Amino acid sequence: MSGLLLEGLVAGRTARGGKGFRLPPLDQRVAPGEVVAVIGPNGAGKTTLLKTLAGLLPPLAGSIERPRAAWLPPPGAVAAGFSVLHLTALGRSHLRRWSSGLAPADLAAARAALDRLDVGHLADRPFDRLSSGQQQLVLIARLFVQDAPLCLLDEPLALLDPAHARAVEAAIRILAGEGRIVIASTHHLPFAARADRVLALGPDGAEMDAPGRALAPDRIRALFGVEADGCPCCGGPLS
Amino acid sequence: MDPVSRLKSTLPTLAATLLVVACVIAVLATGPLAIPPADLLSAAFGRGGPEAELVLTLRGPRLLAALTCGAALGGAGAGFQILFRNPLAAPDLLGVSSGAGLGAALALLLGAGTVLVQSAAFAGGLAIGGLALGCAALTRSGDGRLALILCGVVAGALASAGLGLVVIVAEPYSQLPAITYWLLGSFTRATLAEALFALGPICLGGAVLLWLGFRLDVLSLGDEQARSLGLPARRLRLTALAAAALMTSAAVALAGVVGWIGLLAPHAARLIVGERAGRLIPVSMAIGALFALVIDRLATAFGPAEIPVGLLSAAVGAPAFLFLFVTASRRS
Repeated sequence: MSGLLLEGLVAGRTARGGKGFRLPPLDQRVAPGEVVAVIGPNGAGKTTLLKTLAGLLPPLAGSIERPRAAWLPPPGAVAAGFSVLHLTALGRSHLRRWSSGLAPADLAAARAALDRLDVGHLADRPFDRLSSGQQQLVLIARLFVQDAPLCLLDEPLALLDPAHARAVEAAIRILAGEGRIVIASTHHLPFAARADRVLALGPDGAEMDAPGRALAPDRIRALFGVEADGCPCCGGPLS
Repeated sequence: MDPVSRLKSTLPTLAATLLVVACVIAVLATGPLAIPPADLLSAAFGRGGPEAELVLTLRGPRLLAALTCGAALGGAGAGFQILFRNPLAAPDLLGVSSGAGLGAALALLLGAGTVLVQSAAFAGGLAIGGLALGCAALTRSGDGRLALILCGVVAGALASAGLGLVVIVAEPYSQLPAITYWLLGSFTRATLAEALFALGPICLGGAVLLWLGFRLDVLSLGDEQARSLGLPARRLRLTALAAAALMTSAAVALAGVVGWIGLLAPHAARLIVGERAGRLIPVSMAIGALFALVIDRLATAFGPAEIPVGLLSAAVGAPAFLFLFVTASRRS
């Protein structure tokens, strides 16, 4: 699988009257199998960056070279009244060019992915009736079904209880372990500490670094404006 | 998929279709002149008695009109409800019905014949639907659904204003009743040629909606989800909207403004087969056709004067909708 290559990439949004914003230019190479955590205060542009990487927003400048991308919106953003199995199987939509329905192989793949994340028993339930944690696991199962080499996850751990957060993080590890690039935004800094690299998006610039350096107390203070020993939200260790 | 679950998934569509066929036979065979179904069948192949042939020529076009309009409105309504994730979406969401009404009223005002009136209605519906789609394309809101609904309301209001103007200008003793009667909807005036003429666009639109199938489910998740799942969201959404608008325009051109079918049929279908587009759309079509048949039969059931189907469908449809809504909300 090929990696992700950013050359002078500027993400942002244009709007009339100077209401848009531009993120600082990014020159990065991310290798297959890497997990990159994107941290930064609210409004720093994490979602805009992820959407630009996913191809949902056009870059304002620079170039981006990427394999096929999959995008996971934050928990609670997906509403669907049909069954979990059907929603998961829709991950293979791009393979069905001319048929009006999904193929048996799509359902089999969906069932396998759900079983793999221990949510196979939810297959026939309507997606809307699941808890946030269950929904998130189902959507990550859909990432397995979609099988894109680049996975962009917007706040995958938000709203989740500790057990579901742990299950989602384990699933993210499996995604990356199979050679996919995973880029996830988060406010859960212990998760960032366990990532391979951390991209800190602040008002002054964007820096990609190893977790140990990116999460040092002085850098956290500069980024979030709070004094903290460990994670500013939960007090968890950052190393 | 194993054969058993495949059969299970097609069962509702199959059952609804069989029910429609049974009703068609019942409607054809009964009435002021009762004809056994066997005679009707041989008459259909040109070997029946004169009575059976007469019944076929009289009841056939009307039945075909009711079936196609009902199926078109049911299918289009289901398509709109899925695309907009809104249970209140109906086939006239883009202002198509108002546009068709305006087209027909204008043609009637100018003293045009039936074919011209229907063509004008068809063109008016598509023009107003196109106007709504075009205006929505100008906006830059993140998810296009709200823009589409607003532009549909605006385009529909413009058409309604035009219609009001036509009604005021119309000559009160001959033109006005014709316009009013047209607007209330009826399957009576359809000739076989007209019904077959409407069948073309309706079948085309229906085939497109059925082909879209699971893609409609993806579109219902929103544009960003659809694009990140590898589908060309804008193009597919436009295709689906155009198909639904085409079906609605053809139905309104043929039978006038028959409301409630497009709102009611998808709700009834959802109670039976759930939310998936691949099942919801065919079953909505069948239920819409069935509802139209029943309404049309009721229209002639109360004495010699015929009740306009537009009135009846609202009188029957509104309470039925309320019943379905209460049932669905209690089930969840």
